[in-house]
Amino acid sequence: MSTTSAGLEFHDVTVAYGRRPVLWNVDLTVPGACLFGIIGPNGAGKSTLLKAALGLVPLAGGEVRILGAPLEQVRSRVGYVPQRESVDWDFPVTVTDVVLMGTYARLGWLRRPGPRERSLAAECLDRVGLADVADRQIGRLSGGQQQRVFLARALAQQADVYFLDEPMAGVDARSQERIFRVLSDLRAEGRLVVIVHHDLRSVAEWFDAVALIDMRLVATGPVAEVLTPENLRRTYAGRLDVLDEIGRAVAEGGRTP
Amino acid sequence: MILTVAEMSFPTGWIPPYNTLVVAAGVASVGFAAGVVGCFAVLRRRALAGDAAAHATLLGVGLAFLLGGGRRDLPLLLGGALSTAIAALLALVLIGRWTRTRDDAATAIVLGVSFGAGITLLSGISARGIPGSAGLEQFLLGHTAGLTAADAMILGALSLLTVALVALFLKESTLVAFDPLFAAASGWPVTLIDYALVVLVAVMVVVGLPAAGAVLVTALVVIPPVTARQWTDSVGVMLPLAGLFGLVAALSGVAVSSAVPRMPTGPLVVIAASILLTISLLIAPRRGGLARWLRSRRTVAAWAEGRLLEVALRLEAQGPFTREQLLAKAPGVAVDSAFKRLVRSAAIEPVVTRAGTDAWRLAVWGRELAAERSRRLAAWTEVLEAAREDARGHLTIDVPSPEAILGAARMKAIRESAAAARSVSGPA
Repeated sequence: MSTTSAGLEFHDVTVAYGRRPVLWNVDLTVPGACLFGIIGPNGAGKSTLLKAALGLVPLAGGEVRILGAPLEQVRSRVGYVPQRESVDWDFPVTVTDVVLMGTYARLGWLRRPGPRERSLAAECLDRVGLADVADRQIGRLSGGQQQRVFLARALAQQADVYFLDEPMAGVDARSQERIFRVLSDLRAEGRLVVIVHHDLRSVAEWFDAVALIDMRLVATGPVAEVLTPENLRRTYAGRLDVLDEIGRAVAEGGRTP
Repeated sequence: MILTVAEMSFPTGWIPPYNTLVVAAGVASVGFAAGVVGCFAVLRRRALAGDAAAHATLLGVGLAFLLGGGRRDLPLLLGGALSTAIAALLALVLIGRWTRTRDDAATAIVLGVSFGAGITLLSGISARGIPGSAGLEQFLLGHTAGLTAADAMILGALSLLTVALVALFLKESTLVAFDPLFAAASGWPVTLIDYALVVLVAVMVVVGLPAAGAVLVTALVVIPPVTARQWTDSVGVMLPLAGLFGLVAALSGVAVSSAVPRMPTGPLVVIAASILLTISLLIAPRRGGLARWLRSRRTVAAWAEGRLLEVALRLEAQGPFTREQLLAKAPGVAVDSAFKRLVRSAAIEPVVTRAGTDAWRLAVWGRELAAERSRRLAAWTEVLEAAREDARGHLTIDVPSPEAILGAARMKAIRESAAAARSVSGPA
């Protein structure tokens, strides 16, 4: 599908845990159909921004619109990949079971997944390259495979807007490449993919646009315009080691070995 | 009516009386349901909340007894038990939401306070010698001997109802137990489903009171699921299996206690359940302790033997080698015993053969084994370079065949991508 309006809008979004603000007046518009990165240091509120968009944390103020509508109206068009550490991987379910969970919302109460859902799940597993471990218990997978199971489950949601929370954490280079390929395909199909990400070196290679976040929005726009030394200094203030690394990455045009 | 039919169909003395049969059936379904419902308490890590609810039931039993004017009417007493059990759960939620007390401390507080209040109330009732209060302490440790057929039928019906609810909402419960964040993001009322599951646990704890008592009923809810988990990696199998283990535990506890006068059933039920658990922890095929121990032993032994063969192959280039030479080149755990095994296995298919008093050489088979091992190692190195995840997920120190584990097709793909990578990055 294609959207004429913006894919995702944050209007003056403020989130606080107790009295402590985590996000402050974030005003951000993300166009449709792109790979969009939310970048920032640890504790900058990146995950919270994602959760705010998904209605998983209460807003102290402001509003979020997805595909031009409030979340409740478009929930079935939204897919989500939570952080891998957020679940117990010893849970007694198979890879296929987890991917099928992506179809549950469309099935609704009481209806069980049938042949159509199963073939969709198989297709999604194939897309992320996990067809041969479909019947394995999820604990018996490597970190990168677990992350791809979550991606396959999101694919099974057949959404138009995808939110991914640190999908590359603990994932080796080859899995990372595979995941980015799938995400690029989603963009090519006209979908919006919003990724919380912290590895700055891969940003220029894969992302179309980013937002730099450190409690407030520091800068947003196309990667080349946003990843300037000045913006990075403002985002990563006081983290010189990171700054050096980024500076080099930017100087080399993002493509680092 | 049913009673008459039952009595007419079993006129002979050696068949247990109708009442006993009904009570047994009731207790069996209580055990089954406790195991099934308990699965979600365990998977969602709410076992301790269930324990707090269980300890709070005594207070409800005492209050209901007083309110009912001293009648020992089981449904009334259980109704009271359920209301204080749910009140305890509510207290847990409120403490968690409005104070900065951690979950485990909150659970301990609610458990202690409600249990203390319950014991005080029941002691007060029994000290005053209120008529009919004699049997109330049976709710502490469980006592099924006093159950009537009508009581057992109520317990059985409630149990089957909770099992039916869990079966009906299996999809939703599993989703919320596994990944509440994803469930919430895709629009499921996670809090509602969560509360419903906890209330079901509370209902099971109350229904299990006559069988196991307030102090021990949690064991009936928690032990069978943990036992079942040892045997399966699937929720769909775990639920009925936990039910079965619960059923066996409850029935055997009740059977033994009926043979011994004045013996409370709770401890016996727990002992039966824990026997099943211990056996499962030991002998379950993949997760069991014995299997794990054997697996690691076999792996280490295979590694040591492989390592010896590798060294022997190298030493043999200079002719026969001594045992000392071999062990010096392959220092490490279990190498000595591995050598003994290699020598011993010579009787069947020679791996090493004697070439003097302390001189050895590899037999044909030994050389083949060593060659096969180095081939596998080379293949794994390739996997490690081309598909690191596959290697990290599957390579063990006993160097299994990568083809057998990853499949021939996958290995072919890995080889091709490795070759492609070499041709790109190699010298032009």
